[in-house]
Amino acid sequence: MAAIEVSALEREYRSGFKAVDGIDLRVEPGEVYGFLGPNGAGKTTTVRMLVTLLRPTGGRATVAGHDVATEPQKVRRKIGVALQEAALDHLMTGRELMELQATLHGIPARSVADRAQDLIGRVGLSDAQDRRVGTYSGGMRRRLDLAMALIHAPEVLFLDEPTTGLDPTSRATLWDEVRRLKADGTTVFLTTQYLEEADQLADRVGIISAGKIVAEGTPQALKDEVGRPHLDLCFVGDADLPRAREVLAGFGEVRVDTVDGVDLSVGVLEGSRAIAPVIRALDEAGIVVGRVELVEPTLDDVFAAQTGSHLEGAATPAPTAI
Amino acid sequence: MGGPSFTARVVWALARRSIRGSLRRPQFLAPLVIFPSMFLAVNVGGLTRTTSLPGFPAVDGFLDFQLAAAITQSLLIGGVATGIATALEIEGGFFDRLVASPIPRTALVLGRLIATAVTSAGQITYFLIIGLIFGASVKGGIAGVAVVYLIGIIAGVGFGAIGQAIALRAKSASTVQGIFPLVLVVLFASSAFFPRELLSSPVDVVAKYNPLSYISDGMRNPIIDGVGSTSVLEGVASALLVVAAAGGVAVLALRGRLRDA
Amino acid sequence: MRQSLIVVRALVRRALNEISRVPGAAIPGVLAPTIFMLGLSSVFGKASGLGGYGADFRTFIVPVGLLQGAGFTGAATGVNLARDIEQGWFDRLLLCPAPRTTLLTGVVASAGLRALLPSTFLLIVAFSIGVDVPTITGLLIAAVLVMGLACAMACFSVTLALRFRTQQAAPLMQIASFVGVLFTTSYAPKPLLTDWLRTVSDINPVTHVLEGVRQAFIGGVAWEHTWPAFLSLAGMITVLGWFAARGLRRYGV
Repeated sequence: MAAIEVSALEREYRSGFKAVDGIDLRVEPGEVYGFLGPNGAGKTTTVRMLVTLLRPTGGRATVAGHDVATEPQKVRRKIGVALQEAALDHLMTGRELMELQATLHGIPARSVADRAQDLIGRVGLSDAQDRRVGTYSGGMRRRLDLAMALIHAPEVLFLDEPTTGLDPTSRATLWDEVRRLKADGTTVFLTTQYLEEADQLADRVGIISAGKIVAEGTPQALKDEVGRPHLDLCFVGDADLPRAREVLAGFGEVRVDTVDGVDLSVGVLEGSRAIAPVIRALDEAGIVVGRVELVEPTLDDVFAAQTGSHLEGAATPAPTAI
Repeated sequence: MGGPSFTARVVWALARRSIRGSLRRPQFLAPLVIFPSMFLAVNVGGLTRTTSLPGFPAVDGFLDFQLAAAITQSLLIGGVATGIATALEIEGGFFDRLVASPIPRTALVLGRLIATAVTSAGQITYFLIIGLIFGASVKGGIAGVAVVYLIGIIAGVGFGAIGQAIALRAKSASTVQGIFPLVLVVLFASSAFFPRELLSSPVDVVAKYNPLSYISDGMRNPIIDGVGSTSVLEGVASALLVVAAAGGVAVLALRGRLRDA
Repeated sequence: MRQSLIVVRALVRRALNEISRVPGAAIPGVLAPTIFMLGLSSVFGKASGLGGYGADFRTFIVPVGLLQGAGFTGAATGVNLARDIEQGWFDRLLLCPAPRTTLLTGVVASAGLRALLPSTFLLIVAFSIGVDVPTITGLLIAAVLVMGLACAMACFSVTLALRFRTQQAAPLMQIASFVGVLFTTSYAPKPLLTDWLRTVSDINPVTHVLEGVRQAFIGGVAWEHTWPAFLSLAGMITVLGWFAARGLRRYGV
């Protein structure tokens, strides 16, 4: 049985606008599924339907074996949710919020305090637990939000852009937590606009654009579809370009006139392991390399190949892959 | 999980949370008692001689007459405050967290209404103490005080349900706050502040059908006269009517919100 | 000087814009004094039977409604400033080269103009239900006193806004304006008040302002009611304005 199964899921608003326009996806138990797309693509709308906060206007979705439309209460018992905005009560302390959440999820009264302490310690908020949430930093609120989503050991965890606005350290902490959850067997549905996050954490990625899934697969498989890694080379002085091409042809397909400041590009299946041999071969041929850059296809390349535009989370648009 | 004991536990946990939130934000609680207190002071200070007007019921002082009005006004403002708290919860996203939890849907409304009942009891206590300090007395004794609490708490819950219903439909705190003038209008069109026989037309006619008249009269008569079955029954019935109507509207508003989400 | 006037005018225009762009926020403030006037006169109308009012209760209470409008407008000015502070817009304003007194004048002056909105609405309703129309002199004096009280209340609420820097101070501003206007000869002439309220109304400078407005509706304009009203108003604006200016000078220091 799939942890999440979605078929022709749709959400149309009264204005006629379709935020989600018939998507299909399947997430296996224990998988980390990355749902990637730019702002306004339909990620949050999809999540809100799957966690029973929004009613689908078409299609079907089951989470942990229960239909979100006809068995929402059963779905809620098995999911944990950390939404895009950390939904916390700023007047309560961290501990009070955790204990309330535990109560709302039916944890026996005698276990509430211990369970709350467990999770608070796990996310590193023990020292701050008796302070009001209104005094917490953004990173602390996110951690508390995550802890609340985990208090009842859900089968499926939904994280909607969990690291947006966080500093690198907090982001890394959250990533570690996701990896730990995966090791524990929790299914994680993670929406993000950050390529690196999807790349690092997800077993499989679905890319959504304008309400439709445009690509789905493992990060590597998706990237392989759009190209191979290549080395961009820039030579010093009046380099013998025909000779350089000859040398490089022994490593892979060579391209000229790729981007500004690059003399030649060569496709290298081995990735970074190819850098030293290539430089050595060119050096032996009397060609001095001034600059070398390993360029690997990114999920942004995948998105661009499907939609013609780039994801907003991409740092800079990647050079065209070979 | 599930069943009446789980529901009770959840409702109580949410009620405790609401009460705690109110106590931690005294600047929101203060208008519930300060504004009606000011009004009470000015009414008594400015119009105390009106007790000598022909047709005014026999009272020991105008303060005795006005206490029930101040309590009713305070409870109405409390209803607006309940609505504002609900709207802020919706705006801030915590309401979504509650909706995504496996709790009975009615708990979303009941928890806050129980908190409103507790706050109402506090408001009534405040005004009874203020009244006693400044020379009022409750002719009905302990029984009279009990009647005031009974009618006042039921009415307070009803007003809270109205506030919640508006918040669930409007979803914005500033919209809920904007109904405050309307609340005053309804209160003025009743016999809360002055005997019905001495109201000007057409307010006297409107007051006859306004549940606030019976609620405030039901709380007033034990103070100025003693516990009489008619006024008690009318007061309780009117308060229950408000609870039933407002509660129904609140549940419908909740269903509508969950459906339209 | 000319530059200062330009800045003042721009700030006033911004404040007036809010009325048309956020009517939902403005409407309660415009309606509330009229609701009070109609409600109080419907409920306590028979009180004028006690004698000493000089007119029916409704006419007696109209000036109270006008000053309530001024008070609410003044309080709203402080609430708006607190919102601007919370949202960071006020910091942007402080970075302008205009002197801070000019900024304060603009904010306070806008309150004076905005107070005419609830007042006008209230007078239209009052005249339509039978309240006598005052003389032009009386109306002008009333208008100036209403605008002046709004400015005084604005100075007070601006001081609170600068001190607390949060909209949560709003109830404090509103209660102050409420107490200021109602703890006077608002409901009854002085002989009918209880001892404590008579004492408070003697001390409260707004009582003179109220009597200055009331003379337009009851008894006719007389110098003996006019000069105390303007003197009290001048005193309030001076003192409260000083506090506001001081609050502004200390802001961010």
